[in-house]
Amino acid sequence: MQPSPLANPLATVQQLQTSASQLDGIPADLEDSIRFAGARLTQAVGILLRLPQEIIAQAIIVFMRFLVGPEGGSLARHGAEDVSMGAMYLATKLSAWPKSARSVINVYAYLNTFAPTFIDAEELGKKQNAEDYYVSEGTFQIRRGKLFEMEQVILKTVGFQLQVSLPYSLCITYLQALDIFAHPRASELANRANAHLNTALLSPQLLYLTHQPPTLAAAAIYLAAKEVAIKLPDVEWWEVFDTDREELGFLVVGLLSVESFAVEERSRWEGMRVPMAVDELDEEIKRRAAADGEE
Amino acid sequence: MSLLCASPGQAPPSSRSIDKTAEPSPSPPSRAPTPPAAQLEIANKLTTASALLWDPKFTSRPPPGKLPPTHAGTLSVANRTDSSISVRNLGGGQTIPVMDNRRHPSSFQQLEKLGEGTYATVFKGRNRQTGELVALKEIHLDSEEGTPSTAIREISLMKELKHENIVLLHDVIHTENKLMLVFEFMDKDLKRYMDSRGDRGALDPPTIKSFMYQLLRGIAFCHDNRVLHRDLKPQNLLINNRGQLKLADFGLARAFGIPVNTFSNEVVTLWYRAPDVLLGSRTYNTSIDIWSAGCIMAEMYTGRPLFPGTTNEDQLQKIFRLMGTPSERSWPGISQLPEYKGNFPVYATQDLRLILPQVDQVGLNLLNSMLQLRPEMRVTAPQALNHPWFNDLPARQQHNAMAAAQAQPLPAQMGGYQVPQGAY
Repeated sequence: MQPSPLANPLATVQQLQTSASQLDGIPADLEDSIRFAGARLTQAVGILLRLPQEIIAQAIIVFMRFLVGPEGGSLARHGAEDVSMGAMYLATKLSAWPKSARSVINVYAYLNTFAPTFIDAEELGKKQNAEDYYVSEGTFQIRRGKLFEMEQVILKTVGFQLQVSLPYSLCITYLQALDIFAHPRASELANRANAHLNTALLSPQLLYLTHQPPTLAAAAIYLAAKEVAIKLPDVEWWEVFDTDREELGFLVVGLLSVESFAVEERSRWEGMRVPMAVDELDEEIKRRAAADGEE
Repeated sequence: MSLLCASPGQAPPSSRSIDKTAEPSPSPPSRAPTPPAAQLEIANKLTTASALLWDPKFTSRPPPGKLPPTHAGTLSVANRTDSSISVRNLGGGQTIPVMDNRRHPSSFQQLEKLGEGTYATVFKGRNRQTGELVALKEIHLDSEEGTPSTAIREISLMKELKHENIVLLHDVIHTENKLMLVFEFMDKDLKRYMDSRGDRGALDPPTIKSFMYQLLRGIAFCHDNRVLHRDLKPQNLLINNRGQLKLADFGLARAFGIPVNTFSNEVVTLWYRAPDVLLGSRTYNTSIDIWSAGCIMAEMYTGRPLFPGTTNEDQLQKIFRLMGTPSERSWPGISQLPEYKGNFPVYATQDLRLILPQVDQVGLNLLNSMLQLRPEMRVTAPQALNHPWFNDLPARQQHNAMAAAQAQPLPAQMGGYQVPQGAY
């Protein structure tokens, strides 16, 4: 039997239990913070590069695949920003929207000028000092070399497994199948469901590495319908979309928990920077060790 | 960064000349156990590329931290261990077979050059341990682009396509600045085979039938796995001395899924390009490979390309001259295609029998069904395989018998999860 082309490779239990980063002594909570910040960074870069969400999602999933499991990449050796950049560059390269190394490096340099990781939306609109994010030709050459190196490391680590199936269009297809679009507030529901699918990309539970697109789509629809109070058929419709009740429940809880996780992260790193580079991470770990010593 | 950072003690010979101008390196990053003093002395005299790059004299940038070389050495270096692709188990419980472990990359002897393409050079190689011949496709990393996207596509698709009519990718070897793909060795491509074997390029009917069957099986397998080859031509079909034909060169191939995105129409060498693609369609599908297969079938009979166009327009004209100029009536929607022009010269459909008298009646029927102008009218690969023309082919009886066994799982991707095909 052939696996479906709509399916993604999923992480095994072992891969979810431990990661190369943890084996290198990075505490799991710090790893979660970095992964979350890395996924957000990738999303932000994708928006600035004017990429379709499908490509951004692919980049985030490749970023997550790279870091999962004991044979995966370790944050102790590869900074999250570099991994994000490599994943983004690869995703665009294989898409119909390739971006030059120059564009990608410029955008990362630009976002790097915002010092704290969590900033208000208004901050983003403020004009930055152009000198702060100008990438000179020499610096560009060095960063590009590093980017190409990272690209190879990612390819090797994920075994060239860059293909990603996404739930976005499935979600619309399912809504059509459920005959939702006759409803006057159907687009509200669809938008909400899409928003949940985007949220799932940031989940510390790595939902895209644990669940298949049809299940993610069904859960997003289920949750969105509850939120916008549109009644779905009074039967176990998710069964039709290859989702059983248990998975549905798990995903709904998972999707809902991202918000509180995000709020927690925000308050935890208030005014600070999540370590996105290897040296920053080393310092953070030292700082923690010192803090532990004082207690 | 290992590009710039040769590990200590492995400084390339060229750095000796640099040595004269540079101060001894300020302790290159090393985690190796302390070597004996005598050795250390030598090491201090050597300058590594990284030491030079990060010399405080030249830069205020701090040296990179711990950067063990991720891949070092070349094919000729013995005991390399870092080269084989780790196809990780992302398989949802199902094991993804790790790529064939026979070869230790160090053990490939590079023999003569077989060909050179835009982004790769292909060498004949020999596995030193088993003596087995392989084709080594050396991919040059582009200084502007990094790893060529064609190479990434080719590898990511081919490692999942294991079929006797698709050339087997044994391994991928990463080295410092190149990527080496190890393929099974095939003697010739179809083009050269026709030149060397055929009567002025033309092949004998039993051989053509066998090759067509194998070609269609390879195509069917690709399509089954949602891969479009997009560049089928005699140069990309490889033949070995056991008469096997295999599809190669998946550099332009891509996976297709639901929904079908619009694709680039810069695909397929002009001569084998389907009319819908020539007309600018970006929603083509599996039928574009079938058109190419039809062109190849005719070429095997005559030894000459069926539609040797020189430009996009000339190509369309050559096709229309034979197959008839399509109209909105014979092809609803054609006038909406970007490259459609109302003033195409109008040709009547020719009888293929007159142009290809070599082909028997049943074969012509199959050929005609592959060379349908309208993509929806073209046969699919599985339909073509069931065509009566193949009835007398011993291989087909065998394959039918083995059909059950052929339904093997796709090696990579994941397992344990099936989406019923009818669900959408």
